[in-house]
Amino acid sequence: MSQITLENISKFYGDQQALLDIELTFTDDVTTAVVGPSGSGKSTLLQMINGLVRPNHGTVAVFGKPIDYQRLPELRLRIGYAVQGTGLFPHLTVEANITLLARLARWDPERIKARTKELMNLVSLPLSYVQRYPYELSGGEQQRVGLCRAMMLNPQIFLLDEPFGALDPMTRNEIQREFLHLQRSEARTIILVTHDLREALKLAQRLVILDRGRLVQHGTCAEILENPANGFVRSFFQSQLET
Amino acid sequence: MRGIDMRVLIILSMTLFLLVGGANAAGAQTVVVGSKNFNEGYILAEIIARLLEDRDFRVERKFGLGGTLICFEALKNGNIDVYPEYSGTLGEAILKLPRRVSYADLRGILKQRFDMDLLGSFGFNNTYAIALSGSLAQQRGLKKISDLARFPGLRFGFSHEFLNRHDGWPGLARTYDLAVRPVGIEHGLAYQAIRESKLDVTDAYITDGDIEKFDLFLLEDDKQYFPQYLAAPLVRAELDGRIKQILGELAGTITDDHMRGLNAMVVLERKSFAEVAHRFLNEAGLLTSGRQRIEESKWATLLYRTITHLKLTFIALIAGMVVAIPFGILVYRSRAFSRPVMYFAGLLQTIPSIALLAFMIPLFGIGAKPAIMALFLYSLLPILRNTAAALFSIDPVLKKVSVGIGLTAQQRLRYVELPLAAPTILAGIKTAAVINIGTATLAAFIGAGGLGEPIVTGLALNDTSLILEGAIPAAVLAIMTEWAFEGLEKLMVPAHLLQKPAE
Repeated sequence: MSQITLENISKFYGDQQALLDIELTFTDDVTTAVVGPSGSGKSTLLQMINGLVRPNHGTVAVFGKPIDYQRLPELRLRIGYAVQGTGLFPHLTVEANITLLARLARWDPERIKARTKELMNLVSLPLSYVQRYPYELSGGEQQRVGLCRAMMLNPQIFLLDEPFGALDPMTRNEIQREFLHLQRSEARTIILVTHDLREALKLAQRLVILDRGRLVQHGTCAEILENPANGFVRSFFQSQLET
Repeated sequence: MRGIDMRVLIILSMTLFLLVGGANAAGAQTVVVGSKNFNEGYILAEIIARLLEDRDFRVERKFGLGGTLICFEALKNGNIDVYPEYSGTLGEAILKLPRRVSYADLRGILKQRFDMDLLGSFGFNNTYAIALSGSLAQQRGLKKISDLARFPGLRFGFSHEFLNRHDGWPGLARTYDLAVRPVGIEHGLAYQAIRESKLDVTDAYITDGDIEKFDLFLLEDDKQYFPQYLAAPLVRAELDGRIKQILGELAGTITDDHMRGLNAMVVLERKSFAEVAHRFLNEAGLLTSGRQRIEESKWATLLYRTITHLKLTFIALIAGMVVAIPFGILVYRSRAFSRPVMYFAGLLQTIPSIALLAFMIPLFGIGAKPAIMALFLYSLLPILRNTAAALFSIDPVLKKVSVGIGLTAQQRLRYVELPLAAPTILAGIKTAAVINIGTATLAAFIGAGGLGEPIVTGLALNDTSLILEGAIPAAVLAIMTEWAFEGLEKLMVPAHLLQKPAE
């Protein structure tokens, strides 16, 4: 059974239509990139999955069951979440940021230590950083800490909302490499929101293309590149890939 | 993990509470003596207190209470056992009797309606008098108030209170048929104005210590317009009969001139109340034991006052934190709740301190309880407002992430929101603490003691050095509190989250 299914989803903010009649099943254990121009509803779609946004119509099913909105924290602990601008807690050290959820889940200290070390190695963060505060790190380093935090409990689903958006091209390249590394090391369903098609093609196996709240096309990268569904997809690809 | 740790605060406050809480030890029968906050009130109360001490009673002094109503309420509620009061004040201001009654009738009414005993009067009558300079009186041959009608050219200036009291100028003008237009003048300036011949006639109190110094002549109230203001100890009827008997010995011991002299000793010669009272009792032959009351050293007094002051301030502050921080969180969590709570807290802040203290008296009597209650109410707004504002201003990205990674509402509050809000909440607590230290000086008006005591007395005596005796330690305390909070901040908040001054 698929882990994430959206059935007939619509979302409005007042009169503003954010998503309309979305019917979509995400393929397990691969990375899917959600792309589209700004305002197309990418972030809203992503936040449906961990219940940060609740649809006006339709059902969101995660791990094979419709979301129980009374028990969201339990669900979210099984879903990794990282956002643009890192969202690291400034009052906590690197270590405290990464291990917060594990400590609240009362993991054994040894296990926490081992997992932290493993994750930091995976994203090439020096272990000497554990006692530093986020403000003492560069943007790329902070982003890596954010990834570690999201991966701590080894979630089967991983949501990334423009995670590399604010980085300079060099750092971005580097961290994208780490991401691919991470992806190969532990199999999981990753959904990545990005406005950058190049990034999407580099990191994801599948694409979901949105335009003004509607699902325009979804499939593997190759399928869509070879066979764009309509003029919008074609021009979106052209404008993004030519520059 | 670093961050705000409530346990530290709780332990800190408990220690403080224990440290200052055990100040009142039990002992022999204690009589609580009160007084109003003016010169004569202090002297008479000190005489009462010393006489009782001489006869082996323990005395607790609650002097300088802020006015007639506060003293009377305190006696009614049993917060004090005795204070010196004036027959005229009882009739006019408290009982609001439509006509004048005899001393005996007044006693009966007080006994019947309030279960109080008005003991035998000290003897003098400190009523209003009309004063003019001695030389002018001699020159024009003025002896009685009715003589004034013959000199329409005289310049009249009265205190604002006298101008407006119904037993003041309006009735006086009617009774003596005086057709002049008096000006309003601050009582403290009137005597000076007369000395400099800028004014001819003003109101005075019969036993005013300044009368001799300014060479004033008091005209005889030949139509007996002014009510009698006979001073006497007013006690609760249930008080030990021996105490009433001892205080009865004071009846008829002080004449008008005598009282004026005692007042002058304090106002002009700057003698202490204790010294004046002791000398009076000694000369009147009322001291039997020959024992001198052991005077506390200045430093011991200062220490005691400071501890009392801190006790008032910090008990109120801690109570304020316990209430205002949760309410601040509630305001943040529920919009519907936020408006009424913030308005209510804001409203409390607009009540003038003295008025708020006065409102507390019918509910809590006098002393530390109502003072702490008032200070508690004052500390609510700064803490509440800062708590809510700090929580509202947390970076929305952090709020979203803390929800998105799966923290429950309680966990978000404890591990993310409160630690991030801590510096601002702490700043609110600091503001409340400093406000409390300042406002607590007013608590002396309702008998709560503390550093306000010398300030209240100093104000009554127009004695700057006495005022400074309270004001300087209070200021030092405020600065030290600022420092202490800065230290606490360093302990509880990572340095990079503190606001630093711009470079």
